[in-house]
Amino acid sequence: MPRTITYSEAINEALREEMERDERVVLLGEDVGRMGGIFGVTHDLYERFGPDRVLDTPISEMFIVGGAVGLAITGLRPVAELQFADFIFNAADETYAKMSKWRYMHGGNFTVPMTLRLPEGATGGGGAEHSLCPEAALLAHPGAHIVVPSTPADAKGLLKAAIRDDNPVAFFEHKGLYATRGEVPDGEHLVEIGKADIKREGTDVTVVAWGRMVSRALEAAKNSDASVEVLDTRGLRPLDTDAIFASIEKTGRLVIAQEAPKTGGGASEIAAIVAEEAIDLLDAPIKRVGALDIPLPQNAMLEAMAIPTAAEIQVAIKEVLA
Amino acid sequence: MSSRLEIYRVMVLAQAWEQALLRLIDENLAPASYHPGRGSEGSEVGATLALEDTDYLLYDHRGMAHIIAKGTSLTALFGDFLGNELGTTNGLGAGIVHVADPERGVLGQSGTLGGSQLIASGAALSAKLRKSGQVTMCFMGDGAANRGTFHEAANAAGAWKLPLVFVVQNNGWAVSTPTEHSTGGSFVDRAKGYGWHGVQVDGQNPFDVHDVAVEAVERARSNNGPTLIEVKTVRLTGHYLADPQQYRSAETKADASTKDPIVFARKLLHESGEATEDELEKIEAEARTQVDNARDEALKGNQPGQDLLTRYTYV
Repeated sequence: MPRTITYSEAINEALREEMERDERVVLLGEDVGRMGGIFGVTHDLYERFGPDRVLDTPISEMFIVGGAVGLAITGLRPVAELQFADFIFNAADETYAKMSKWRYMHGGNFTVPMTLRLPEGATGGGGAEHSLCPEAALLAHPGAHIVVPSTPADAKGLLKAAIRDDNPVAFFEHKGLYATRGEVPDGEHLVEIGKADIKREGTDVTVVAWGRMVSRALEAAKNSDASVEVLDTRGLRPLDTDAIFASIEKTGRLVIAQEAPKTGGGASEIAAIVAEEAIDLLDAPIKRVGALDIPLPQNAMLEAMAIPTAAEIQVAIKEVLA
Repeated sequence: MSSRLEIYRVMVLAQAWEQALLRLIDENLAPASYHPGRGSEGSEVGATLALEDTDYLLYDHRGMAHIIAKGTSLTALFGDFLGNELGTTNGLGAGIVHVADPERGVLGQSGTLGGSQLIASGAALSAKLRKSGQVTMCFMGDGAANRGTFHEAANAAGAWKLPLVFVVQNNGWAVSTPTEHSTGGSFVDRAKGYGWHGVQVDGQNPFDVHDVAVEAVERARSNNGPTLIEVKTVRLTGHYLADPQQYRSAETKADASTKDPIVFARKLLHESGEATEDELEKIEAEARTQVDNARDEALKGNQPGQDLLTRYTYV
């Protein structure tokens, strides 16, 4: 019997199960221990596993990521948390150079089996420096996987897979999804990294999305007159291009929705790949939906206007079908 | 604890290795982007020889003496500079920045200077969590010590009393910028602020450096916290091979040349009666032979094929 739990609980369960399974798994980050995380995601883990497994760090993002690389290359499997995904830029070199490149630069002499948890996204007034979806920041720096779950089941299965992966994984979890509920299978539940999931089948148009935009795409699909297929990439690297090509072969039309500002994001990359490799499968130009190209306003009402809504995705669907 | 003769032997070995590398560079067989280590053998060998085989080392980009002191194969080191399959990185690293030797605890180096400080702090935390008893030693120049990474690594290590030793090799120059222009205080004084033990030592005297490092390693291994060793050392040459050093006066160059730690150590060993001239010459000749053999062996390595390009991107 699958249980219905929240996205946040699913992440907590994944961490707990992996820590029970493998004593090399340790957590570190700001307030992840005694407090259980500022969003409560790591609650009870400190009490359960103690201070040698769950470490409250100083406010030192470079140390959290760089230190985790040191832990990872010396036999542990750290799960490091940056309190907000925006802080990836406070630890930029450590993330795109040390985490992603240490193995390659040193001729394969090391593996860096670490997971970097990155709570992302707009949640109603977080302001311009606490609301980003910076998944694409790592696209130009090969070496780490980029994973973004959209449901509790995917959050649990992908995080468990990330922790077991010998590659570094940047795991973006959407803060706005923490309270959403969904069915999660009982027992061992793993989701393969880099495998897209058709969240809804359709024949007229494909909406490619990830993270929170998946639920908005599903809402748009439900409200649309057309038969809309919603393909969840579950992240940006590895990217399941085969699944994207297979879907547009069926529908002939493509909308790509991301929460990040429209310019320079994952949607641009996916659009470019499709244009380069599979343009002949399309009957209409590709349409991208993304946030306005502005720093996100702190005013929650304005913030909501800046990021894509289901209605905007629905308009895009209508446009590619016109 | 290594003997003075052993310290001298490894310094001479590092010097011979570097001389052989410079010949390979002259012959266009190795890239010239090398940062010569002449002058810093005292700090690199003196400190590294305080480590056990299983302890961790994060070296810095000046010279190879610390890596040689840790015991990495000389042939493999030549292979790295020749960019061939005999290198520690199988031909990928090609040079000093990314030599790696996990079996000897050599954890590599960050190309962005200072990046190693954080990884060292993480390795030390790992050893503490695993209760492995391993010590991590991280080298950096006075320039790299001014990166923000220093603060975050040192602060966490101090808070958690990690088994970590930072060796700040203060040779007075961050490329062309003199230390007095780039920092207002002394490096050793920073130790107190982070809850570390701090000690300053003259890098011209490798035996003093070794004594200080042995103490620091012992302190770390017995869970008494990290140590910052500030070594006052010299850079006998330019920052890199082609550096014309126009920023440096003739007087400072001449003054540095009187502080060669190898010359100092040889004189001390001789005058104290610890080694005869014959014994010292024998050590030097053996070092040259060892290096020549390693060089000849390394030259037999093949250049990597295109398949190496992507081999290590992902596991």
